[in-house]
Amino acid sequence: MSLTDQERDHRSLLRVQEGDSRALEELYDRYTPLLYPVAFRILRRAADAEDALQEAWLQVWRRAVTYDPRRGTVAAWLLTVARTRALDRYRSLAARGRAESSVDPEAGARPPEPSASAVHAQLGERVWSALAQLQPQQRQVLEIAYFEGLSQSEVAARLNAPLGTVKSWTRQGLLRLREILPQEEWM
Amino acid sequence: MSAHRDQDIDLCAGYALGCLDTADRERVEEHLASGCPMCQAALAEFSDASVLLAASAPLAQPGPALRQRVLAAVAAPGIREPEPPAEQVREPVDTRGRVIELRPRRAPFFTAGWGWAAAAALLALVTALEWTQAARLRGELESNRLRLADLERRLADESRWSEVLNAPAAKVVYLAPTGKGSSELRARATYDPVSRRAVVVFENVRAPQGSDYQLWAIVGGAPASLGVVKADAAGHAMMRLENLGEPKLLAAFAISLEPAGGSPNPNAPSGPVVMLGKLEG
Repeated sequence: MSLTDQERDHRSLLRVQEGDSRALEELYDRYTPLLYPVAFRILRRAADAEDALQEAWLQVWRRAVTYDPRRGTVAAWLLTVARTRALDRYRSLAARGRAESSVDPEAGARPPEPSASAVHAQLGERVWSALAQLQPQQRQVLEIAYFEGLSQSEVAARLNAPLGTVKSWTRQGLLRLREILPQEEWM
Repeated sequence: MSAHRDQDIDLCAGYALGCLDTADRERVEEHLASGCPMCQAALAEFSDASVLLAASAPLAQPGPALRQRVLAAVAAPGIREPEPPAEQVREPVDTRGRVIELRPRRAPFFTAGWGWAAAAALLALVTALEWTQAARLRGELESNRLRLADLERRLADESRWSEVLNAPAAKVVYLAPTGKGSSELRARATYDPVSRRAVVVFENVRAPQGSDYQLWAIVGGAPASLGVVKADAAGHAMMRLENLGEPKLLAAFAISLEPAGGSPNPNAPSGPVVMLGKLEG
């Protein structure tokens, strides 16, 4: 099972930096099954999630040179770009009072294609069971911070927990996820 | 290099998750830029973990049009122009309080330079792309339909067998060692007289070299072979048995130890019966 293949992805990204749109197409096909659910989880409306994802891929196309392999994999960078775009859009919609009120659960509930997302689904199942093994607070901190885009001090206020505790829960939760799913099993 | 503190590892986790407050983010960015090897390594680990977290989002997929929109957008001329440095992006205000435009306004897409010929060529290209895309999607659709049919079939099969285990009339029989073979072998049969099906689960199946265990039903006083027990490396096995015949005639399940491949006689064990479980009632 291979969800991310850093060497292959890095080669694709270097080609994107040189302006090869075929390489962007490859990355699009490879990573949309991972990126789109994140955008949809954040925005909860297909049209908004698609707009956010389009902006994200344009940013990847224009700013591929800003990727720094020492900071993490291409997959992680693509996710950062997509999540940031989705959260920005969520905040601007919320500011206009639209995000919460116009949630349309049907709008994005397109069933995933088995071929496109089989690997992702397989991984997803294992991640869900891994998440279930975390302490409830650790899991909550990770989910709120990642999918709702709250900063650590906002998370602390929401959970009525000291900031230092939220910081260590974040570290412990991520480490625990990493331990439960060792690298060789999903890379 | 700014000195490494223990708390920096916590900050790396928050940084990978993208949830640091501004002061913390600035601190850790400065620290990472100074090249702390410990934090660089920690950040890479945390960022892998954040990919896993992302994969926990419920499955969803965009409409097929998004792919074309994205690819068309990156193909648009001028899209790769380098962006101005960050500090220029902030819109400075001139003395009259109006926003100055730093970049020259780009020419609209269809201007004099782009004649009808160019427009027609573009249209042809888009049509060709759409056709290729449609062909690809048709192929995907067909293969997905097949996969779905296969999954549905397997699911129906699974639920049919789980009905046996949940059937109200089902009888559970634990086979007991007869003393003539392994004492660690375990076998449990669940038999539903209504559907006449049974599920038999085995543990610690470790037949001596060159031999196999074979499962039998004792029907009307005579043994009938239900097959050789094929276990996985951990010694687990499961057999699903269709149509075990008239419930009144089925008296017991038995396991014998046979030469590899099973008893040469299909109607009787050739080796010792090592386990036996009688159906009651």
